[in-house]
Amino acid sequence: MRPNIPDNDDLDEEIRGHLAISIKERIDRGEDPASARLAALKEFGNVTLTRDSIRGVWRYRWLDAAEALARDIRFAMRSLLRAKGLAATVVVTLALGIGANAAIFSVVRGVLLRPLVNRDEDRLLYIRQSAPGIGAANMTFSVPEVNDFKSRVRTINAFGDFSTVDFTLIGLGGEPRVVKAGVVGGEFFDVMGLRPVLGRLLNAHDDGPKAAGAAVLTYRFWTTSLNSDPSVIGKTVRLGPRTATVVGVLEPSVPYPADTEIIANVVTSPHHLGATMVTSRVHRMTELFGRLAPGGSFEAARAELTAAHAAMMREHPEAYSAKANVQLRVTKLRDQIAAPARTILIVLLAAAAVVFVIACSNVANLILARSVRREGELAVRAALGAGHGALRRTLLAESLVLCGAGAVLGVALARPLVAMVSGYAARFSIRALDVTVDVSVLWVGAGLAMAAAVLLAYVPRLPSPQAPAGLGLANGSVRITPGTNRRLRLFATTQIAFSFVLLAGAGMLLATLVNMSTANTGYDMRQVMAVDIPASVTGLGDPKAINFYQEATRRIRALPGVEGVAVGSTVPWRDGGSLLHFQFTVEGYKPADGEENPRARMRMTSPHFFAVLGVPVLAGRDFTDDDRRGTEPVTIVSQTLAQRMFPNGDAVNRHLTWTDPVFGIYGKPVPSRIVGVVADVDDENVVPGAALTVYQPVWQMGVAGRLFVRAAGDPYTLVPSMTRVIREISAEQPVERAATLEDVRAEVLSPERVNAFVFSGFAGIALLIAVVGVAGVLAFSVSARTREFGIRLAVGSAPRQLLARVLSEGVRIAAIGIAAGAAGGYALAGIAAKFFEQVQLPGALPVVGATAVLIAAAIVASLTPAARASRVDVLQALRSE
Amino acid sequence: MTMANKSDGQRLELLQGTLDMLVLRILQWGPQHGHGIGQAIRAQSDDLLKVETGSLYPALHRLVKRGWLKAEWGVSEANQRARYYQLTATGKAQLLREQDRWSQLVDAIGRIMNPAPASKP
Repeated sequence: MRPNIPDNDDLDEEIRGHLAISIKERIDRGEDPASARLAALKEFGNVTLTRDSIRGVWRYRWLDAAEALARDIRFAMRSLLRAKGLAATVVVTLALGIGANAAIFSVVRGVLLRPLVNRDEDRLLYIRQSAPGIGAANMTFSVPEVNDFKSRVRTINAFGDFSTVDFTLIGLGGEPRVVKAGVVGGEFFDVMGLRPVLGRLLNAHDDGPKAAGAAVLTYRFWTTSLNSDPSVIGKTVRLGPRTATVVGVLEPSVPYPADTEIIANVVTSPHHLGATMVTSRVHRMTELFGRLAPGGSFEAARAELTAAHAAMMREHPEAYSAKANVQLRVTKLRDQIAAPARTILIVLLAAAAVVFVIACSNVANLILARSVRREGELAVRAALGAGHGALRRTLLAESLVLCGAGAVLGVALARPLVAMVSGYAARFSIRALDVTVDVSVLWVGAGLAMAAAVLLAYVPRLPSPQAPAGLGLANGSVRITPGTNRRLRLFATTQIAFSFVLLAGAGMLLATLVNMSTANTGYDMRQVMAVDIPASVTGLGDPKAINFYQEATRRIRALPGVEGVAVGSTVPWRDGGSLLHFQFTVEGYKPADGEENPRARMRMTSPHFFAVLGVPVLAGRDFTDDDRRGTEPVTIVSQTLAQRMFPNGDAVNRHLTWTDPVFGIYGKPVPSRIVGVVADVDDENVVPGAALTVYQPVWQMGVAGRLFVRAAGDPYTLVPSMTRVIREISAEQPVERAATLEDVRAEVLSPERVNAFVFSGFAGIALLIAVVGVAGVLAFSVSARTREFGIRLAVGSAPRQLLARVLSEGVRIAAIGIAAGAAGGYALAGIAAKFFEQVQLPGALPVVGATAVLIAAAIVASLTPAARASRVDVLQALRSE
Repeated sequence: MTMANKSDGQRLELLQGTLDMLVLRILQWGPQHGHGIGQAIRAQSDDLLKVETGSLYPALHRLVKRGWLKAEWGVSEANQRARYYQLTATGKAQLLREQDRWSQLVDAIGRIMNPAPASKP
C-alpha cells in the first residue's frame, strides 16, 4: 500500500499547525503574543526551504534527473542558438552520415536478411551446373539429367524445373509483343511453395504433352500491364503457334531465375516437346530447384546431389568433356538470390560507415573547438560549484540536441536515399525493388545519434579542479593547450585518411568506366539502329522466314533517309550475354592430345551486314544474295580465328565444320567454305578482347530476328516508317526495342556508371566534410594564435611567411592523412581479399588523383585562415590579451 | 539532522542516521504531531539534543514514505489541526532492529574508547 502523497496545502497546513502550537506554548509560559510569534518563526527557520525539502522526499529520483536534463537541454538550445553556424554544420554533417547509413542499412536488411515469401523458404534449394573450363557460369540441365536426379536422390522429395523462352504473345489487348516466359513442369509451383492471388497455379494435370495449354501471369505483369484486371482469368492467348488459357495470377514473389511476364506449361512450347529436348543429354535449357524431404538436411541433400552428379558424369563421359570441368553447386534459394548483391551491399555499407566516421570526427572537431572557446564559461560554472557530472551533463545535453537534430534530418534524408540505393541494388538482386523505409531505419538513426552524442560529450576536457582556473576566469579568453591541438589535428587527419580511401576507390571505378566507354568497339555506333523483329515462326532454314527478311530489307532500303539495311541474329551487347560458344574444326586442323576442338560464337548475317555496321572485310568477300538456300554452304570468319587456325594466312576458300554435339540434332554437319575474313568485333564484353566468331548467311540458315539500319540523319526518325513497312508484310510481326548501337552500349554500361556514380557520391560527401574539417581546425588554430602572429609580425616576419606557414600546416595534415589512408587502405584491401574473391587495388592513376585532389583541397581549405593570419593587426593582436 | 547550537555549546551533534531511530522511539508511546516529537526529543535528552524543523519534517515524511509511520489529521491541544504520526507494524519491527544495531554500535565504540584493563597485556 502506497501512502498518499501530501499536496502543497497539506504541507502548508502542517507547518501552520506547528507554528500555532509553538506560539501557544510560549504564550502559556507567559510570553506576550507578538514576541512569542517572532520567537516561534525564528526557531522554525526557513519555511520555504523546509517545505521544499519535504516535497523533495516525495519526488522520484528519475524525475529529478529528467528535470535536470530537460533544464540542460533548454540551456543547450539557447547556447546553440548563439552559435547557429556551428550548429547547422554539425547537424548537416551528422545527417549525411546517419542518412547514408540508415538508407544502406534498410537495403541490406531488405535484400540480405528478409525471408522469401515462399512456403518454408529455408528448405528450398537451387541447383546449378557450371562448366568453368569453357566459361559457362550456368550451363543449366537437360531433361535426362533432371530425370537422373529424380530417380537417384532421396533427400529431396520434389524437383521443380523452369526454362526461359520468348513467346510472341497475341491477345490481352494491344499489339503483338514478345514476352519473356517461363516454361515449367507440373510440380514447379508446389516445389517453390507459391500461392495464387487469383485463379489457380499450374499443377500435375497441366504437365505432359497431352495437357491443354495453360498460363499463369506474374503479379508484376498483371498489375502493370493489365491494370489488375480480374477478368483475364479464362481468356485465351496465342503464344507463338500455340494457344493457352490464362488460369491464374501468381502472388508477388522474387522472380528467379528470370523475371518473366507469364509462366506456361510445357505443352505451349513446341521446343520442349521435341524429341531432342526429351532425349538428348547435352540439350540443356532447364533451371532446377528442389525441396528438402521432411527430415532431410541441407548438407545431406548436397552430398547426395553431388554423388548423383558424379555418377552421371562417369556413366556418360561424352556429355561432360574433361576440358569443360563440369561442376555442380547446391545453394539455398535465398542465398542464391542474395549472393550477387552481397558484395556490393557490404562495400556500400563499409563506405557508409566510413562516411559516418568522417562525419563524427568532423563534428568532434567542431565541438572540441567550441569547448575550448567556452573553457572560460565551464571554469566559471565549476567555480560556482557545478560538479564534474553536472558539467558533463551540460555537454551531453548539447551533443544530444545536435545529434538528435542530425538524426531527424538524417532519417528524413534516408527515404529518398533508400529509393536511390534500392534502384541501384535491384540490378544485383531483384529483392531490392520492394525495399521500403521502415521502423528499423529509425532505430538505426537513433542508435547512431546516441553513439555520436555520447562520444562527442566525452571529447572535450573538463576544467580540472586542481588546475589554476584563474586565467580563464579572469578574462574568458581562448587559450589552446598542446593536448587540444593534438586532438584537433588527429581528428582532421582521420578525416583526410578516410576520405583518401573513398576517393581512391571512387577513382578506381571512374577509371574503369572511362576505359570502358572509350574502348574502340569496331562498330559504327551513332548512325546504326538495331531493331528486334522476332520471328513468330522459327525453324532453321524456314523459307517463309527468309522470304520475310528479304522482302523487309528490300522495302526498308527504299525508304528515304536509309543508307543501308541488313538483318542478323544478335544485337551487339544486348544479345551478347546469351550467346553460346560452339565447337568447330577446320580442314587440316588436329587438336593437340587431350585438347578439345576450339569454340567460336556463331552469328547469322545477311548481305551488307558488315557494310552497314562498319566492320571492314579484310580478305575475300561479304555474303551476297546468291548465297541462298540450295547453294554451296559458305561462311565468314573473324580475323583472330583466321590467324589462329590458318597461320599461313590462307583462310579463304578453306572449309570449316561445326562439331559441337548440340548440332547432332540437325543431322551430320556439313562443311562450309570460308569466303571472307572480317575484323574482330567483341560485342559480348564491354572491353573488347580477341574474338573467335563465325558468321553464317541468313539467306541459308533462316534464323535472324534483328534488323540493322544505317541512317543518313537521326536514326530514330525512321522507326515509324520502318514499323509500317514491316506490318505491311506481316500484320502480326512485333517490332521492338529500336535503339542506336551507341544507346545499346550505354545501357549495357549503366551498371558501371551507377557504381561509379554512387561511390563518387560518397567520396564527394567525404571530401566536402574533410575540407570543412581541415579549414575549421586551421581557422581555429589561427584565431587562437592571434597573439603569436602579432609578435611574429612585430619582430619582423613578413606576412607572406605567415601565410606560407599556415598553408604548410594544412598540407602537412593532409600529407599525414593521405599516408595513413594509403597504408590503412592497402591493409584493409588485404583483409578484404581473404573474404571476397574480386578485391581490386586501385591503379597508380586513381591513387595519384586522390592524393592531388586532397592536397588541393587542403590548400583551398587553408587559404582563408592563412590569409587571416597574414593580415593580423599587430597592435590589436598584442593588446588582445 | 543537525542540532541547534544557538543557546549554548553543550548541545551535541546528532549522529548520522540516528534521527529516524529517535523519532520511532518517541512514537512508541503513542501518536504525536511534529512539534510534539521535536519537544519530546529535547525534553527526554535533558535539552542536550534539539532537532531542527528543517530536518525533522523531511525525516517524518521519509518514514511515512517507507511505510514505518502513518499520518492522520487530528486536532491538537492548541485547538489547531495537526498531523499526527503513528508507528505502523513494520515501523515497530524497524525500531527493534535499529535499537539492536545502536546498542551494538555503542558497545563497539565503548570498547575502543575505554578498553577494559584486563585486556591489556
